[in-house]
Amino acid sequence: MNKDIHQKLDYFKVLRKTFFFLCPVILFVFISFRVSLVLAQTELSEITHDTEDEDFGDDFDDEYSNTDEEIFDPLCSYNRIMTGFNDGFVTYVLLPVAEGYSWVVPERIRRGTSSFFKNLFFPVRFANNVLQIKFKNAGEETIRFTVNSTIGILGFWDPAYKWFDLQAHEEDFGQTLGYYGVGSGFHIVLPFYGPSNLRDCVGLLPDHFLQPVGPDKPIGQLDNDIQELAVESFVILNRNSLRLREYKSFKKDAVDLYPFFREVYEQRRVKQIKE
Amino acid sequence: MRKLIISILLIMPLCLVIAEEDVNSVTSISKARIDNVVKLLRENKADKQTRNKKVIEMVEKAFDFNQMAKLSLGKKYWKQMNKDQRKEFITLFVKRLKESYLEKLDLYSNEDIIVQPAKQVKKNRMEILTYLVGEDNKREMNYKFYRSKKGWQVYDVVIFGVSVVQTNRSQIAGFLKERSIEDLLERMRTLGEL
Repeated sequence: MNKDIHQKLDYFKVLRKTFFFLCPVILFVFISFRVSLVLAQTELSEITHDTEDEDFGDDFDDEYSNTDEEIFDPLCSYNRIMTGFNDGFVTYVLLPVAEGYSWVVPERIRRGTSSFFKNLFFPVRFANNVLQIKFKNAGEETIRFTVNSTIGILGFWDPAYKWFDLQAHEEDFGQTLGYYGVGSGFHIVLPFYGPSNLRDCVGLLPDHFLQPVGPDKPIGQLDNDIQELAVESFVILNRNSLRLREYKSFKKDAVDLYPFFREVYEQRRVKQIKE
Repeated sequence: MRKLIISILLIMPLCLVIAEEDVNSVTSISKARIDNVVKLLRENKADKQTRNKKVIEMVEKAFDFNQMAKLSLGKKYWKQMNKDQRKEFITLFVKRLKESYLEKLDLYSNEDIIVQPAKQVKKNRMEILTYLVGEDNKREMNYKFYRSKKGWQVYDVVIFGVSVVQTNRSQIAGFLKERSIEDLLERMRTLGEL
């Protein structure tokens, strides 16, 4: 009996000793395997460094549009001309006037004015948020309008954002149409307004009726179209005075001005519709 | 008994890098880089040339400019180019990318930048969303990372919804539909910009 137990104990001792001997060996083998892998990878990348430029990297295919795709652009020639016209207008008329305006009017006042008009356009944002079933956003818009019109002194100031971090939810009817699946249609460049597309163009109409500035609106009390045009021009001027440098800087990235603006506009719209 | 347990633990394979470690390290490294660049922009002490040089040094490792150049060209045209053309294209385009990037930095006017933690969207893709907090709104800038041979690097930046690579891609494609690759290179050489 005892002999059996002793034998078993001995056997176990040997097993344990072998085990402990094997541990570091296995560990050593494993570590060296990892190290050699790393070395091999470095060597490989050094060898392929010259040919790295040849390798394209295949797994980006689904992230970017196919460069072969033809964009349907029936108004191409007209759009190009209009882009040139708009660019000329912006560079030689709007921006210089805005620069002068900026020089005369301090930034704070310009921001206040911008904020005032932004507040006025609440009906457009509210309606389109509701139409897109974004009730929370519509609610926030309402709070913003109430807070800014009262505490914010008719909207010249934006405590809703500065204190309560409530951002405006910019929605327009073009986005509403997009939300419901209406495709953008072909690109149209509007005079003065800039890039647009078929859907967004159509979308301008309903929004126009909701805008509070106009001949038969209570706030506007404007007598004629010229006054309306003047107000609208002023809004655009004021807004652009805050974005002078951006326009010039982004323009430098363009190869071809018209396709550049078209591309940027369409990407922005896709993002705006998603939000 | 204790020795046994310890040795078993020792034998267990060394951990391979867990995905979560990657996400955390990329987030913290990127945040540090962004903070450094913002600090440099806010200081405004040195002249522009020195500042720009420093900024490029800081972001060089993070951005895979070469890959951005290749993606902007597109596989189709890449395959049409010979080795010299490819080399030249990458050199010229990367130069242009850097200039464009530095140009945008001039637009910075002391906004706060909020950096969200990185999100792993696919096995080899991560995204870091940052916000430029302006006077009346917050604007998004999204950095897209992929796992390159040199680690996680940026291959695209989406500024207010507009992807830099996509925009360059459609522009170059538009250009090359009517003109040749040599024309493209010539244009890049002479104007110093596209």
